[in-house]
Amino acid sequence: MAQQQPSVTYPTREAVDFVIVGSGAAGGVMAKELSVAGFSVVVLEQGPHLKASDFKHDEWSYDHNGGLIWGSKQGHPQTFRKAEDQTARPAEAALGYAHNVGGSSVHFSGNFWRFRPIDFIEASVRGTISGTNFADWPITYQELEPYYTKVDWEVGVSGLQGPWDPPRTRDYPCEPMPIKGSDVLLERAAKKLGLNPYPAPVAILSQPHNGRPACIHCGFCNGFGCEVNAKSSSMATMIPLALASGRCELRTGCTASRVSTRPDGKADEVVYWNAEGEEHAQRAKAVVLCANGAETPRLLLLSASAQHPQGLGNSSGFVGQNLMFNGYTSVVGLFPEPVNAHKSIPATRVIHDFYELDRTLGFYGGGGIDGRHYARGTPLNSALMSGMFGGPKWGADYKRSLEQEFTHTAAFDGHTTSLPLATNTVTLDPKLKDKWGRPALRCTYMDHPDDLATMKFFFDKTNELMEAAGAIRQAGSYPENGQEGNVHLLGTCRMGNDPANSVIDKYHRSHDVPNLFICDGSSLVTSGRGQPTMTIMALAFRAADHLIQSARRGEI
Amino acid sequence: MTNVELNRRAFLRAGGDAMKTSFIALSFPAVLTACGRAEQARLLGEDFTSLSADEAREYDAIAARIIPSDGTPGAREAGAVYFIDNVISDAFEGEKQQLRSGLEDLQAKTASLYGKTQFADLTPVQQDNLLTQSEGTDFFATIRFLVIAAMFSLPEYGGNKDKVGWQLIGFEDRHAWTQPYGFYDSEYLEKGE
Repeated sequence: MAQQQPSVTYPTREAVDFVIVGSGAAGGVMAKELSVAGFSVVVLEQGPHLKASDFKHDEWSYDHNGGLIWGSKQGHPQTFRKAEDQTARPAEAALGYAHNVGGSSVHFSGNFWRFRPIDFIEASVRGTISGTNFADWPITYQELEPYYTKVDWEVGVSGLQGPWDPPRTRDYPCEPMPIKGSDVLLERAAKKLGLNPYPAPVAILSQPHNGRPACIHCGFCNGFGCEVNAKSSSMATMIPLALASGRCELRTGCTASRVSTRPDGKADEVVYWNAEGEEHAQRAKAVVLCANGAETPRLLLLSASAQHPQGLGNSSGFVGQNLMFNGYTSVVGLFPEPVNAHKSIPATRVIHDFYELDRTLGFYGGGGIDGRHYARGTPLNSALMSGMFGGPKWGADYKRSLEQEFTHTAAFDGHTTSLPLATNTVTLDPKLKDKWGRPALRCTYMDHPDDLATMKFFFDKTNELMEAAGAIRQAGSYPENGQEGNVHLLGTCRMGNDPANSVIDKYHRSHDVPNLFICDGSSLVTSGRGQPTMTIMALAFRAADHLIQSARRGEI
Repeated sequence: MTNVELNRRAFLRAGGDAMKTSFIALSFPAVLTACGRAEQARLLGEDFTSLSADEAREYDAIAARIIPSDGTPGAREAGAVYFIDNVISDAFEGEKQQLRSGLEDLQAKTASLYGKTQFADLTPVQQDNLLTQSEGTDFFATIRFLVIAAMFSLPEYGGNKDKVGWQLIGFEDRHAWTQPYGFYDSEYLEKGE
């Protein structure tokens, strides 16, 4: 793996080939692909460039002090409301994402399910759903498959082809991760019920790959940066290669404020504040936004001009709309023997028998189930939830709960679909400002009734599984009154063939601005079944491929 | 209502209550910079940064009821009060004031019910009775959150002395594990299913 970082710096007043906003799952891939292909690249990243050696098993810092996911304390407040007729109230990280090189791929769980052929054509196979923007993608699984394989091998994925998995052109590079006790319980229960559990595909290395070491099973994945670089974040995998190309300048602590356009309507430069708060602008032949499904639409809305009165690239009005979170459910069971689900990675088995729910149920939906620890296996979060089986929340009996629940429980979680709705949005808060004086991100979100029905289905199914697993006691929940935040920020600048109802074309080019490209969670047309990052990275590899070809033909 | 339904409601409360109503949880400006200081204070038995000796004695008494020392170390042995001092010293003035008035309310009840000025001077039964009455208050939620955070955060923040919190729940501070992690995967490895 590339360790040396030849430093390249580009003058801001001369146009580089590409300026990329954001260095996360998509931005990291873009930076690597474009720079290695020979183009000059500047990456603007709000956060710092943390490395494996910076990460600690420090819950207090990360979870309760906003170490990675900034909030109002760091000057990044947000607001949330369920419907447009409500006034949004301040909400910490309702739109949750990390501010560091690698973005949320640094602290995510690493569940790397591919989307399946049905995900791209579900609206025509199943029929559209009135009152929603449920639609087919402009691309198919077959078109994306080579890029999924690229992610498997270049980023690093461990797994084993399962009974329901879509066709793949190449095996996983790394064998599946060893099974955990929580997933032994899930697997046994699933088999009892006639289901087909199989090893979970994860972006965590089970064996050395591409110069990075295997996982040491420390248990601090979800919410934490990997201390040994076994997690396949774009920080660990892509950014080092981009920097080693000698053509990529990574500017950290730099917050993009707007994309400026020239009189001919094309993007000209990205204006940003550096770490010292000084305003700069990087000129570029093309602008690539990979800032995530919340920051990308905000940047476009803030880039409104006389030529682009509704916001840049927003002639459709779809910028910021169709926000999809994915649904989730969780059931916890208490077991007589130590499970110790806090050790090793979050999930080692999945059940995908309910990927598409039976239409006779009367609602649209689908998802997957995996086994986990109820509170990500971390001591403080676990303790805050202890007493979950109805016991007291303090005192001697609470202490008895603490003594058994951390080690003797397993959680079975559902991960489900969300429908794209015009009313679920990322917009600019009319009053609240962030530290830069920009309007704060305002999230408006209410799960569609079908999404809630799907969660109920998975909640009931995981309760059944928990019973079959032999749990002594069980408890659980799903957001039956609607979610009030999530870390999956999907669909807010969707791709499509029709400029009237999409923001970018099938090659991620803005319908309105020919040298503006967008690739991140916002590009997704449908939500998939709850694990979007694999698809975001595959889209980035594909988008970069087409971008390189276009640039070489002089078509940027 | 089924048992599952009842349990689910309990679970919902369990997940949300401490964070949502604890008014201090989301607004510490610079706890990180203060962390070494709190652990040092605890180790050296130094003075508190923010709490008066009386306040510290009261918080210590509350902490000792939230996670009592019954056979195994509780919040008192974990040094929870040092963690609390650490966090409060970096809290905003408004939050400090809310905590102070919360404590004053508790002391007022101590006086009216039991004729004593200090919560710490009550018997454990009396203390539990008063805390039960306070359960719905933001003050109680905040103190409960801080005591639990003290018990289970890295010792360098001032609590979790000798990792007694982690020992209580069976969390071992290690960086590498190999299979088997627990009973069920051990069985699985033997039987192959």
